[in-house]
Amino acid sequence: MGLREDLERFREVGEERREDLESFIRYGDLSGSDTDHIQIPIKVVDLPEFEYDRLDRGGVGQGDGGTPDVGQPVGQPQPGDGDGDEEGDDGEPGEEGGEHGYYEMDPEEFAEELDEKLGLDLEPKGKEVIEEVEGDFTDVTRTGPNSTLDFERLFKQGLKRKLATDFDEEFVREAMKVAGETPQSVFQWCRERNILVSLAWIESEWDEIEAEEREKWDSFAEMESNVERTTAVQRIRRKGLREVPFRRDDERYRHPEIEEKKQKNVVVVNIRDVSGSMRETKRELVERTFTPLDWYLQGKYDNAKFVYIAHDADAWAVEREEFFGIRSGGGTRISSAYELAKEILEEQYPWSEWNRYVFAAGDSENSSNDTTEKVIPLMREIPANRHAYVETQPGGTAINATHAEEVEDAFSEDGDVVVARVSGPEDVTDAIYEILQPASSKASTASPAGSS
Amino acid sequence: MTTRPRRFRRVARQEADRLEEPVREAAALARKLGLDPYPVNYWVVDHDEMNQLIAYGGFQARYPHWRWGMTYDRQRKQDQFGMGKAFEIVNNDDPSHAFLQESNTLADQKAVITHVEAHADFFRNNEWFSRFSGDGDLDAAAMLERHAETIQRYVSDPEIDREDVERFVDAVTCLEDTIDQHRPLAADRDGERSQPEDLRERLDEMDFSPTVSGAVFDDEWLDELAEAEAAAADLDRPRTDVLGFLLEHGTVYDEESGEAVEMEPWQTEVLELLRREAYYFAPQKMTKTMNEGWAAYWESLMMGEERFAGTDEFLTYADHQARVLGSPGLNPYKLGKELWEYVENTANRREVAEKLLRVEGVTWRNFHDVVDFDRVQSLLEPPAAIDAIRPDTLENLAALSEDDPRVDWETLDRALSDPVAVDVGRYPWKVLTYEGLAERHFSLVKPQNRGFLRRVRRLELEEISRYMFDDAKYGSVEEAVADVGKTVGWDRMREVRESHNDVTFLDAFLSPEFVESNDYFTYEYTRSTGDFRVASTDPDDVKKKLLLQFTNFGKPTIAVFDDNFENRGELLLGHRYNGIMLDLDEARDVLERVHELWGRPVNLMTIRKEYDDHDVEIARRRNREPEPVEVGVRIRYDGEGFDEFELDPGLKERIAADDIDYDTKPDEWLS
Repeated sequence: MGLREDLERFREVGEERREDLESFIRYGDLSGSDTDHIQIPIKVVDLPEFEYDRLDRGGVGQGDGGTPDVGQPVGQPQPGDGDGDEEGDDGEPGEEGGEHGYYEMDPEEFAEELDEKLGLDLEPKGKEVIEEVEGDFTDVTRTGPNSTLDFERLFKQGLKRKLATDFDEEFVREAMKVAGETPQSVFQWCRERNILVSLAWIESEWDEIEAEEREKWDSFAEMESNVERTTAVQRIRRKGLREVPFRRDDERYRHPEIEEKKQKNVVVVNIRDVSGSMRETKRELVERTFTPLDWYLQGKYDNAKFVYIAHDADAWAVEREEFFGIRSGGGTRISSAYELAKEILEEQYPWSEWNRYVFAAGDSENSSNDTTEKVIPLMREIPANRHAYVETQPGGTAINATHAEEVEDAFSEDGDVVVARVSGPEDVTDAIYEILQPASSKASTASPAGSS
Repeated sequence: MTTRPRRFRRVARQEADRLEEPVREAAALARKLGLDPYPVNYWVVDHDEMNQLIAYGGFQARYPHWRWGMTYDRQRKQDQFGMGKAFEIVNNDDPSHAFLQESNTLADQKAVITHVEAHADFFRNNEWFSRFSGDGDLDAAAMLERHAETIQRYVSDPEIDREDVERFVDAVTCLEDTIDQHRPLAADRDGERSQPEDLRERLDEMDFSPTVSGAVFDDEWLDELAEAEAAAADLDRPRTDVLGFLLEHGTVYDEESGEAVEMEPWQTEVLELLRREAYYFAPQKMTKTMNEGWAAYWESLMMGEERFAGTDEFLTYADHQARVLGSPGLNPYKLGKELWEYVENTANRREVAEKLLRVEGVTWRNFHDVVDFDRVQSLLEPPAAIDAIRPDTLENLAALSEDDPRVDWETLDRALSDPVAVDVGRYPWKVLTYEGLAERHFSLVKPQNRGFLRRVRRLELEEISRYMFDDAKYGSVEEAVADVGKTVGWDRMREVRESHNDVTFLDAFLSPEFVESNDYFTYEYTRSTGDFRVASTDPDDVKKKLLLQFTNFGKPTIAVFDDNFENRGELLLGHRYNGIMLDLDEARDVLERVHELWGRPVNLMTIRKEYDDHDVEIARRRNREPEPVEVGVRIRYDGEGFDEFELDPGLKERIAADDIDYDTKPDEWLS
């Protein structure tokens, strides 16, 4: 019992009645949200009641320093109430819709749901090192406390050394019994046979040979054919491992490994054509495509930064609030935006530390040769996880709108460059899928959505 | 919340200690100012607890419902963005409980405390509130907790589907404002169908011969008569307490038998509890502007003028106050406070005028010419001894005549003998009485009210002098002004706060002078341009529109007109049409819920305004508003779908009120 339960129940009720994510992206009101909080309208969440018709009711307002003139538009009057303990009974237009009926999700939840919905599986890459942490004791050093001494390794090294230095003493002794040989010549012969004996050992053992044994064999060859050589393993099996030559050199102390924890940084560059030909429907389609992309990447990465670049023939960086509203009259030179993007990225978001997504949108119209001569080379010069161009052309492509096609042709082999076409809100989710899909699956995708 | 373990919280404890003195002194100051609040228990809570309290409407336990979760969720998110900081929560209970957020500044806490004391006074003394409590003890928190336990029991009852309980609560909640808030909870029994007496019984008594009765009063005739009379009785007194009506007569649809059956005991009980809560909360909704204005007025007087905010806190307070009063739209704090000030000023002005009109040679005709208003103004100023009270000026007060009613002599003696105990530097008001404080704060001498006296209209003066007999009582203005009762304004305010609600308050005190000086205007939607436009600045229009927003919680009035419509057991609701049409989409949604409480088809009568496209086009070209056609409709919901019927003209007449007109559009719109 209690508020926690009420909250949970509200979540359940809200979830049931929430607008479907896909149709929200395509047709919903995206404006109530920002990159931290995504508000998805809930079909009916508050309880209905008998109310006046909002338009028919009218209301009372208070002039701001003077009585306004009759007939003057009042815009959307603000809901009142001084302390914010919203009672909602002061009845002003504009209060409906603003207050009620939203299911809020944060970008993480949004990204998760979108993954599920579109079957995406974007694995963000960690880039910038933000801290070093002690991992498992898998690293080793030459010094350290006894408790961390890697004895297993020491033993193995010793064993290896033993095997490497061990030789068949009996066999060498037999060689010393060949007539007419000197310690020097026996050593020489052993070396040729890869017997790892030292001259010093031969010399020290030389006098131990009984005199009557000295000319036991006439030649090395005779000795070899009569005496069996044993391998080290046979010898160890036979005699046991009596002595392992441990060396300080082989001592290793185990040590925790330093792991680098990488932060998943992402910078999303949104480029938008604001030239005269980008009329309202086109602008809306851009906003509808870019906004969910922003949310998604924000939700996927630890640290997301957004750069908004508007361009006509020139490019300039703007704030998000302005971005989707700007209109200018000038011509179009898409490369201006990529030049600016390159400059900003190189200065502030080095490729070694940042995941980069560069999304551009427009109606594919560009000044002649700009695409092939400048934009495409610039795109090659800007390393990024994904470059995308979103063509928004409601009702089909115009004749001179070739930018998307040229980019597509130039990068047909490159999985990191995507071109998507949006001709109406129904294409938006497909476009988002194309833009975010893993590079490898690009080729296998069927015809791009909305291509016409 | 109540199930949470009680943590011992140091921060809260410290805050509570720090606030002990302000709480004690604010209550004392409130009483000195003539207020009579319920005792208030203050609780220091953290911001999350505050959000929970807000969600629960100021209480710690409410019945389980997702709606609270929604409010809480929204509140928490606002809180996170630093918006919608709740400064005060106080509930209507005896004793009242008020909640202070531990992270508030001391200045904010003091503002809340003074504000809360005034609310507690309002709760205790406004008659609309006492209608609910009656003579019995008000123990709202306990009542709501009992309700919570009861409903929780049904929710966890394995025999009852949780979803059913929730849906039932939803349905009842949709109707929480369709009650008769002007009557006490228990008294609403009229509007019952007044059963016409069956003639048969009387005929039996008359003992006619079977032949006579058989020939004249046959059964068929008697049945028809009874039916006709019953039908006539149905519409006699439509009942606005729809919830009460459903409680008595409601049934639910039974899937198995396919007919309406009596409500389960749990349903009846839930309905009864929720209706009681609706009646408990109704007075707060009915007096919101008055109550918030009242609290804002006294808070401002205590915090600002009596310097309850320390010098160092004053700026923080001023900022807080500016934010509360300055928030846009129709702000109940601001509107209420200004109206209270208007009540005070007019009462004071009337008092001064009455005295001045009794000066020899002053009449309502020459009033504005012969009265030297500046002189009157300075005569009204409080004497220095009362105006400036500091430890070093107490001697001036002591020098006043010993029976001066303005001085709290006992406290003054104590202050002189033991200055630390009284701390006049901090609490100068302690050495004054109610009379003294009224003089110290006499509204007409405040800078913002200069000129108020001068602006008195001749008509008002004439009215005053009409009932005045000894009109040459004073030989001079000095004499007259010395006789001015300084407590008149505050006395009047307390009278008004006893009997009014927002509607009557606005009706009585929203004067043309007030509307004009505050730049209020009405706006209406215009069909021809498709937006809202300023429609009128005429004070009458503004008042009309404001009253619309306050009458019946600003919502349309819906009443039960018949519980056996067309003799088929259908419910007939009627919208009392006042010229503003219903939001029909919402209304249909509500009907679906009403059906759950009636079990049989439900009908709603209303009037819809219809605009002909052609008329709209012509009106647009001519810069006029198109004339709508008012069509009576009856919307019927049978549990599966909606049907719409033309409304019987007789019924249409019954729901339409012709004498009210809330439309403030000028005739020559936009021209």
